[in-house]
Amino acid sequence: MMRLTKRRFVQLAGLSIAHRILPGHLFAQQTAAQQIAAQKAARRPSNKVIIVTFGGGVRYSETFAPEGLQNIPRLVALREKGYFFNSCVNSGVLSHFNSTASILTGNWQRVDDFGFQPPAGPTLFEYYRKQSGAGPLDAWAVATNKSFASMGWGSDRDFGQPYGANVVLPKQLLLEAVQEVVKKGAEGGVANREDVLRRLEGVLNEGYEGVGWTIFQAGRKLDRQVRDTLVRGLVEYINGPEAPTSGDELTFFITREIMREFAPRLILVNFWDMDVAHWGSYSLYLNAITKTDRLTGMLWEEVQANQSYKDKTTLLVLPELGRDGDKNTANGFLNHRSGDASCRNTWLLAMGTAVPPGQTERPVHHVDVAATAAELLGVKAAGLAGLPMRELLL
Amino acid sequence: MPANTPKVSAAMQALIDKGLLDGLPRSFGAFCFDQMKDWDLLFPAERSYFERLFGLLDRSSGPVVERLFQPLRELEPKMGMNEKTWPRGQFTLEQVDFLNRNRYYPEWRAAVAQVFAQLDPALDAEAARNGHARLAIVIAPAQLPTDPGRMWTRFQGRGKRVEISGPESAEEFLPLLLTGEEQSRKAPTIGQLFAAGKKGGAYTSWIVEAGAGVSRLGSDSGGAADYGVVKCSYESLAQYRKRLMKDVQSVVDAQETPGPRQLSARLKQMKILTSEGDLARDPILAEFARAILLSGNGTLLINNTFVEWATVQSVRRARPSVTVVGFGIRNKVKPFSSLLIYADQEATNPIPSQMDTLGSYVDLEVFYQYIWQEFEKYAEYRNNTAYLFVGEGMEEMLAMAPPDFPLMTAAGPLTLPAVFGHLKDWLSV
Repeated sequence: MMRLTKRRFVQLAGLSIAHRILPGHLFAQQTAAQQIAAQKAARRPSNKVIIVTFGGGVRYSETFAPEGLQNIPRLVALREKGYFFNSCVNSGVLSHFNSTASILTGNWQRVDDFGFQPPAGPTLFEYYRKQSGAGPLDAWAVATNKSFASMGWGSDRDFGQPYGANVVLPKQLLLEAVQEVVKKGAEGGVANREDVLRRLEGVLNEGYEGVGWTIFQAGRKLDRQVRDTLVRGLVEYINGPEAPTSGDELTFFITREIMREFAPRLILVNFWDMDVAHWGSYSLYLNAITKTDRLTGMLWEEVQANQSYKDKTTLLVLPELGRDGDKNTANGFLNHRSGDASCRNTWLLAMGTAVPPGQTERPVHHVDVAATAAELLGVKAAGLAGLPMRELLL
Repeated sequence: MPANTPKVSAAMQALIDKGLLDGLPRSFGAFCFDQMKDWDLLFPAERSYFERLFGLLDRSSGPVVERLFQPLRELEPKMGMNEKTWPRGQFTLEQVDFLNRNRYYPEWRAAVAQVFAQLDPALDAEAARNGHARLAIVIAPAQLPTDPGRMWTRFQGRGKRVEISGPESAEEFLPLLLTGEEQSRKAPTIGQLFAAGKKGGAYTSWIVEAGAGVSRLGSDSGGAADYGVVKCSYESLAQYRKRLMKDVQSVVDAQETPGPRQLSARLKQMKILTSEGDLARDPILAEFARAILLSGNGTLLINNTFVEWATVQSVRRARPSVTVVGFGIRNKVKPFSSLLIYADQEATNPIPSQMDTLGSYVDLEVFYQYIWQEFEKYAEYRNNTAYLFVGEGMEEMLAMAPPDFPLMTAAGPLTLPAVFGHLKDWLSV
């Protein structure tokens, strides 16, 4: 008699309730390939996916090059346990929006750099929600820049907002709150953290549409559960022992609350602080890298500590783009548009219980992320330029 | 020719009248046209470059020019360039955006690089024939928490460390280095001497600095261009910087500009006022200051970023013969500063500003390299420029120069007036 392991139990249970999760017509129309993908996904405990853009643009030389390892102690330690792709190439447009949209759609994007157009074609969020029937609380994009408000769904009319992700923009929320504090000339200015918190809550109550929330209970009222979750993230942030002040730190706290409250299966966490490099301070850029390393490590710790994620999650960490090389004509680390190797050649670190430890020199591409995540989620995504990373799909 | 033909020099106009611009590939022509459209605001070196570039194309035979541009000409239609996407003579952010998002962008860059790879040797040879000794002095502030052994780490194995016998009074370090005399003597600086000499003239000698101390040195100094020395100081531009930050924030707050492209057009109107700095007196330098401060990087916010970018741009555009670069110490970034890009940090946060000496040290190690590289990109500087990297008050300096630069063979320790003497000899002033 077949031994009923925990994994086998989960697999059988998953299959037995599949018809209740998936819309009937969709279940009936699954192709053979979809069924194989779904079976593989069911065998795999890593049925949640978190994509982390280690971002704002960072070069190999400050991360996984020998001279850069000192900046990323957490990732270096994680690499031993995960699978490391030494070469992850961004062959697309070297802007934050297009690069991230390429990661999410599996196709190289050439839309407006500043988010005035949604990604072309469906995003991974839409494939996932449409095929799985997952609800709106099961796919989230926690992003930094305001332009990323349109990152939750693409322009394909067969998909779109009904299947998109909830996009939250913590930095935008913070920005509006801080600007309010400054405008009002409150005592202590932005150093008064309680004042900042009050304004943060105020923005949540009054202006959430402008800062990216897409979850509405009815009409224009922010869903109470979502609001409470976000407020908890804000309070943690304001009262954090290290007195965090950056957009990325708030991104982390809000992501963590979303994970604890809603346990979504698919999350994009878009870090951004290292784009401070545009200010022209190499030391601030290095500090931002180290901070993002710490936040990524804390995110992995949350995965390990959170029973909804532990042993079920694949974490894919990659810079959305690099930055210009020191010998480049543009102005070195300050920019990321030259298209030289330093801009395009990045890395990818995969973590997860089902991820075998190892590394490869085989080049993969940013568009391969969506293809890989789709398989991990048991979703069939058609017409992708990217290919699944077989190293992670054993 | 497009209706908005720029007003250029007679020599350039003669080449334009021959139809030289019309025969160029669309993107190449548009770029050149755009660069020349504010001819009156170009530095002499820029005007000279365009005259030499088009002169060379004019002298070259038709088939040679045809071959030169053929790859670019073949690529442009594939990229979708036409009169609608690339109107003749227009090269705005729309075109930059078009290029960035085009799937053939890497090929386009390669084709343009190939054009210049063939043109540059001839243009460089011309520049080298008219070459003369040049000097760049890069000064680090006294507060850096380091010693000569850990300075200029990116130049290890290059140049020569020169031992210095410094003055008893630390305040006299820079006056002695740059004038050969104590400050009270008000002797002319090395830059002033060059600018007043036979190879000098307007825009040939520059000071770019975080503070204003170097600009105050020398004789009869005060104006932005006394002796023709250009003085570009972050500190001296404080009033203009603060107004720019306020104005930009107002534009953003009022949401009058839907995106960066429209914002860029607004920024071009924010010119320096006469009351905001001496650079306003010279239209070319006034536009230079505006462009530096509103270039999109951190030049408004961080003193050393301003110094690096202004230096790089002065080299790229004006090709000075003598450049004195003075870095400073930047302040620590206050909480939430990354969110308040255009806000006055002093006003938004009552926490007193603190110097970030370690951060500044890290920043400068990179900037030394970037500045040196920028100089060395141009034929005017290669093989005839002496670079002195100096830490104010330090007992050593780093010299990178051709073998005939006197400091490369001089035995130390040297007094600062002796160093100044060698600099004068090098420049023949």
